[in-house]
Amino acid sequence: MNAIQIPAAATSREIIVSIISLNKSFGAFHVLKDVDLDVGRGEVVVIIGASGSGKSTLIRCVNGLEMYQSGRLTVDGFSMPTEADRAIGGERELARIRKGVGMVFQQFNLFPHMSAIDNVAIAPIRVRGRKPDEARANALRLLDRVGLRDHAHKLPSQLSGGQQQRVAIARSLAMEPHIMLFDEPTSALDPEMVGEVLDVMRELAREGMTMMIVTHEMGFAREVADRVVYIDHGRILETGTPAEIFDRPTHERTRTFLSRVLRH
Amino acid sequence: MTTLALRWVHRNLFAKPFDAALSLVIIPMLAWAVYAFAHWALVEAHWQVVGGSFKVLMTGIYPADQLWRAWFSVATLCAMFGAGLGLSVRPGRAASTVVALGVALTGVMVAVAIDVHSGMLAAGSAALGVAAWCGVHHLAADQRIVLSGLLAGVVAIFVVLSPPGFEVWGGLLLSVVLTIAVSILTLPFGILLALGRQSRITSLRVISTAYIETMRSVPLILVVYWIWIIVPLLAPDTSVPGLLRGMAGFALFFAAYVAEYVRSGLQAVPKGQIEAARSLAMSSWTLNVDIVLPQALRVVVPSLVGQILDIFNGATLVFIIGLTDFLRAGQMILADPQNSGRTYEIYVFLFAVYLAIGGAITYASRRLEAHLARGSR
Repeated sequence: MNAIQIPAAATSREIIVSIISLNKSFGAFHVLKDVDLDVGRGEVVVIIGASGSGKSTLIRCVNGLEMYQSGRLTVDGFSMPTEADRAIGGERELARIRKGVGMVFQQFNLFPHMSAIDNVAIAPIRVRGRKPDEARANALRLLDRVGLRDHAHKLPSQLSGGQQQRVAIARSLAMEPHIMLFDEPTSALDPEMVGEVLDVMRELAREGMTMMIVTHEMGFAREVADRVVYIDHGRILETGTPAEIFDRPTHERTRTFLSRVLRH
Repeated sequence: MTTLALRWVHRNLFAKPFDAALSLVIIPMLAWAVYAFAHWALVEAHWQVVGGSFKVLMTGIYPADQLWRAWFSVATLCAMFGAGLGLSVRPGRAASTVVALGVALTGVMVAVAIDVHSGMLAAGSAALGVAAWCGVHHLAADQRIVLSGLLAGVVAIFVVLSPPGFEVWGGLLLSVVLTIAVSILTLPFGILLALGRQSRITSLRVISTAYIETMRSVPLILVVYWIWIIVPLLAPDTSVPGLLRGMAGFALFFAAYVAEYVRSGLQAVPKGQIEAARSLAMSSWTLNVDIVLPQALRVVVPSLVGQILDIFNGATLVFIIGLTDFLRAGQMILADPQNSGRTYEIYVFLFAVYLAIGGAITYASRRLEAHLARGSR
């Protein structure tokens, strides 16, 4: 039951993330099994699957928040150090990769002791060495882009969940990433706030940002995804265009999963 | 009004037979104790001994012609305390009234006990503190500016006090300056130890853990004495003043406790914060300095302020290395045969001063806790 590889080359795009037979386990629990996946520049890949199937773990591997044991993972041309490499260093490669990879978390993870604008400006100042004035001016532009210019000086605790998540997106964009990872960005939100976050993501996709998105929002996936990946028990079972996956799934398990999530 | 009072008494003192019995025993005993103490304090006690030896109690054997240095320190300390208060406590009307009365009372008491000149200086220092309190609050001054101001204040006190030599420092001034200096010194050292204890580098982790656990399992007095003995062995050619050796002992000891407080704060920072910082490619240094420590320290500030009280109370132990702290100064006065009958007066005075300072620190810690709990999240 190996992955069905739809080469990104089919759309003649430059490959930005290349994952080859990646294996990852937490102790005895084998989370990811021989995962192969390529993501082309400007592509939007949505990863779906039941909870515990390893989809979050997969995108967390792409910026090194999770370590993998074997296989090969390259991002932006840099190869991600394996667990063995990281035991003896490898921090520099990791930092180089992370500069080009933005990440948005389910729980937002904004820095609670900083205002929205400082949340956005801190990494460019400290990591890229930008001048504070420039970084804050740029942060304000980004907050404007996610519709939060008026809230720039509020603390995260003074913002709603949807607003916090939009600040988190702006914070990642401030590092000018080549690829954005979204780990269930709307799962912790009240239903009425899901739309505002999806709007921002839709806009990003339209501008050509490369994105890997883990989500349960199937309507959104169908609309923005170039490719949908279905993961089941740590294996990529099926990959295809939204139409292929949602309308003509080839695997029985995919069909069962979709019938469960689409029923609501 | 009287019915209200009666109801209060009924509810709180005589609600049940057992309460009533207890109240009937305790209230007369308390009343008797208060009466006996008040009678002694107002009629029998000879408080002149406190006024007469005020200079020794406050500054030990600090040269009398250099006392302006001590007054400078008093004024600076008042301003520092006021500024620190201004960061967290609003100078409301009730508070200002109490403080204004306190300032006036301080001046009058010092004037009566010693002379008018000192009374004016004391009142002036207290007023300076109030001014700093209101000033910092109304200007909504930047925390960083205020904190560096506090640090500058400590340095200024040391620079101004030191010319007559560290050997002559004494009394309450010694206790307070030692407490403040040690509190500040323990902070960076304790933070480094706490980070070391969590480090991925094994040698750092083992050394930090061993240091913290060792210090926490031995008594303070042993560490202070030990440092006092060992410094001349390590540096036989230089003579390090006893005060500095004592401060080093205190700082080394209390840093271990600071490290444990900070560690609890570090553990309170959610893992998501570290992941977010890492995903933004932050280095370990930036991650700690800009993201983790500000959140961790905010949690532990009340405990750290509370520890200042431990240091202040522990400072009474410096007499074993020959320093004259506040308590020791009181005992020195009693050693004078002329004051031999005044034991109670001196000890009651010491008790009152320790209680007042300890109460102030506890109050500041509580207010800070409430302030931070409101401001964060």
